[in-house]
Amino acid sequence: MSEQKTTNTKKKKDFNHLKRKNVEAAFSYLSVLIFTVVFGAVAVFLLVIPRSTESQIEKRTLAKFPVFSFDSYFKGEYTAKIAEFYDDTVPFRDDFKTMGYNFKSVFGFHTDEEVKVIGNIKAIDKNKDKDKNKKTETSGKPAEQSKAAGETSEKPQESTASAQESKAPESSEEKPEKMGEAEYTEENGLIVVKHNGHYRALELFGGGTGDSYVAALNNYHKDLGDKVKIYSVTAPLASEYYTPSNYSGYTTSQKECFDDIASRLDDGIVYVDIDTPLSYHTNEDIYFRTDHHWSPLGAYYAAQTFADAAGVDFKDLSTYKSETIEGFVGTMYAFTGDANINNDPEDFTYYIPENYDKCKTDYFTTSFQPDGSGNFFCGVGDPQHNAYLTFMGGDEQIVKVTTNVKNGRKLMIVKDSYGNAVPGYLFGSFEEIYVVDMRYCDVNLVNLVKDNGVTDLAFVMCAYSEVGGNADNLDVIRTQ
Amino acid sequence: MVFSSLYFVYLFLAVVFLAYFTRKNVKQKNIVLVISSLVFYAWGEPVWVILLVFSSLLNWFFALQIGKNKGKPLAKVFTGTAIAVDILFLIIFKYTGFIVENHNMLFHTDVPVPQIVMPIGISFFTFQAISYIMDCYWETVAPQKSWFKFLLYLSLFPQLVAGPIVRYSVIEKEIDNRRADANDISEGIIRAIIGLSKKVIIANSLYAVVEQFFGSDITDLSFCGTWYTVILYSLYVYFDFSGYSDIAIGLGRMFGFHFDENFKYPFICKTISEFWQRWHISLSSFFRDYLFYMPIFGRPRKYINLFLVWFCTGMWHGASWNFIFWGLYFGVFIFIETKIGKKRMKKWNKILTHIYSKIIIIIGFGIFYFTDLSQLGRFFLNISGISMISNGNAFSDILTWNSMLNNIFLIIFAIIVSMPVVPKIKHFFNEWGNNTVYAVGKIGATVICCALLILSSILLVDNTNNPFLYFRF
Repeated sequence: MSEQKTTNTKKKKDFNHLKRKNVEAAFSYLSVLIFTVVFGAVAVFLLVIPRSTESQIEKRTLAKFPVFSFDSYFKGEYTAKIAEFYDDTVPFRDDFKTMGYNFKSVFGFHTDEEVKVIGNIKAIDKNKDKDKNKKTETSGKPAEQSKAAGETSEKPQESTASAQESKAPESSEEKPEKMGEAEYTEENGLIVVKHNGHYRALELFGGGTGDSYVAALNNYHKDLGDKVKIYSVTAPLASEYYTPSNYSGYTTSQKECFDDIASRLDDGIVYVDIDTPLSYHTNEDIYFRTDHHWSPLGAYYAAQTFADAAGVDFKDLSTYKSETIEGFVGTMYAFTGDANINNDPEDFTYYIPENYDKCKTDYFTTSFQPDGSGNFFCGVGDPQHNAYLTFMGGDEQIVKVTTNVKNGRKLMIVKDSYGNAVPGYLFGSFEEIYVVDMRYCDVNLVNLVKDNGVTDLAFVMCAYSEVGGNADNLDVIRTQ
Repeated sequence: MVFSSLYFVYLFLAVVFLAYFTRKNVKQKNIVLVISSLVFYAWGEPVWVILLVFSSLLNWFFALQIGKNKGKPLAKVFTGTAIAVDILFLIIFKYTGFIVENHNMLFHTDVPVPQIVMPIGISFFTFQAISYIMDCYWETVAPQKSWFKFLLYLSLFPQLVAGPIVRYSVIEKEIDNRRADANDISEGIIRAIIGLSKKVIIANSLYAVVEQFFGSDITDLSFCGTWYTVILYSLYVYFDFSGYSDIAIGLGRMFGFHFDENFKYPFICKTISEFWQRWHISLSSFFRDYLFYMPIFGRPRKYINLFLVWFCTGMWHGASWNFIFWGLYFGVFIFIETKIGKKRMKKWNKILTHIYSKIIIIIGFGIFYFTDLSQLGRFFLNISGISMISNGNAFSDILTWNSMLNNIFLIIFAIIVSMPVVPKIKHFFNEWGNNTVYAVGKIGATVICCALLILSSILLVDNTNNPFLYFRF
């Protein structure tokens, strides 16, 4: 043993007595060898492993290899797109992204009630917003208020401005472009809050006048008259209820915004206040923590309030069959890039009505051409990320559900993706339910309503859509 | 093509390494480098590669004429012509829009502002060409007879688009006669990976925070929020640009070129003059050597030249008034320091000089950030605290403290790495210990750099096409 020790010491001594130059050279070779192996392994990995084609986290198809043309080459687009293809379609892209987000989570302290800000958020000048709203008041009569909400709206001041002033231009050249799937824009800013041991991502609400929305709904009312009952059902964002009090200055009251918008809607348009009833259930999972949508449970309370306002039957939640997808991580992971969201998944529980088997779901193209029949509640690939697609599989279609109800009421829901979770609760309330996404509709909506004998037209969308660019689409599909 | 992309690192470089290191002689290696440099440039600028080649032809030709007419008045003519053409290129491609905009503003005209796309790296390769012409005129270097070799100097891809501004004298001999041994290659790789990590891990993360605060209207930003953000922005610019220089120096060394340092831990400076001896050294030394001593009305005029240098330094950074203010701002402090005198300043309390220099530098980066002059005005109101009185801005706000808490380790790490800690550790392992200590240091550095490379690569998956700040120059 001691002999071996002596030999080792001797070896060490010998090594330390070698010429530094030789040691440097030897270890430099070793260093280069290690680098070559690591670099080469990654380079080969990126070259031979099949490339990713879509990202579940980002919910998008990844870049495609470009087609060569001299024009695109000389503009530098062809080469730029090759580089983009290589960088965008890295094998196991989503896994590497998750690793990167996990690494970034070590940049800061983590506390029990931590808040992380994503993107650019600004303090809200609430006075400024009120001034803006005053200036844009268009209608003189108060909107009807949903009785179920248990509140009455204040009568707005008479205004000389006419709703016609904000009517969308009629000529095709002047029509605004339709907005795509863009409920979230970076300017809104996000925060990730930790509360009761769980992380929740919130979109902060900057407010808005909702002029386009008001004008569009008033125009629909004018076009359809009193034969079709019109409802304004706006879903608050989760930030309405879950923003920490010390961040309240960075988000504006959505209820106040909705009320103000409602006060400018024509008499005859029913404002369904779902903000208030939802506020009674904030201890329940009415919003997803990891997704920008409300949960099916939140949509249930909204549907209940709407059904009360429409005066139709409504089935209690206990009559529904519930299904749960575990481990759901929604869109907010991609929006925030926050590892805590990904590491804190939740359950996606949805509710199937008892008469579901007696209902028929027909799918149509966005031009209202038949596109086959199917299920309203669909099985989706990668449900842990795509669970919200359970409702009709997405947005880009028109859907008609024929129920076994016989009450002569036909409902059309004009919606953004928030509205997808609502129709299932109304299968026991209407004979027919049409679901139209205002971003993906290529037919004239007024004609669609008339041609199908629709009796109730509900605009169901989130606060962003009501005050943002999505609302412009409402008048586009009215006049197209 | 940007350095901080997987495409560049694992495809372009892999192909170049393979082609380069399998060539036996320098001539062949040079051919590989020229072809790869032109491909590198043409990847982003398929048309403007013609400008690069044309510029190299022109400067190579003029330098030869200067050499042939040594000491004759004609040499002066060729020098003047070459420099005038180089500057004209720069004016046309970089400053035309700026000139027209200001002309319209001053004379209330409505001349259409031409939308000229600036060729990437034009400021760098033009300045390299000017330095070469001047050095030929002063006979500090002999004109390169081979156009191909001159093209290699001007277009060498590691420093082509974001510097450093390499003098011809630095690589003159290495064009024909260079050897990269294992130590050069190993040290080059380590340097390049450190540069990539500085950019991808630190700079990009800092910039995300900066954009949260400075990315939109800053009218209501608090006093502390403004200081916090501009400090992070200063660190960001340092890590972004020095990271790029590290990659250039590292790649150069792998190919057997030894470029001069471009950054020497600028934030440890005690004066503004010292800052500029440590920050973007290749640019400040360019202006010092080629402009500061330039005769004006027959002889160099110290203070006029000084302000001319700082005007041009600002102007070089971009066609916008804030850059010109930025340059002159530093010019004023260097003028004051010159008046006070180095000796007297050395006697000042070191802590106070550190605080003084950091405040000036950090505010300077605020000027650098805001190309919109109205935003720049608000920045001054905020950082001076005036907006607390005039606009009722808060002294501090929850967003700032929260952001600090969420990024505290990143910020501390960035501050530590901006100090000369790494060279001291390296020095310990290389010089103080025996062979075992050296070996541990070398293998340790290799393993750490491999980890950094992989980490940077992972972050690049989400961060691709994130152009370097200095690309626009």
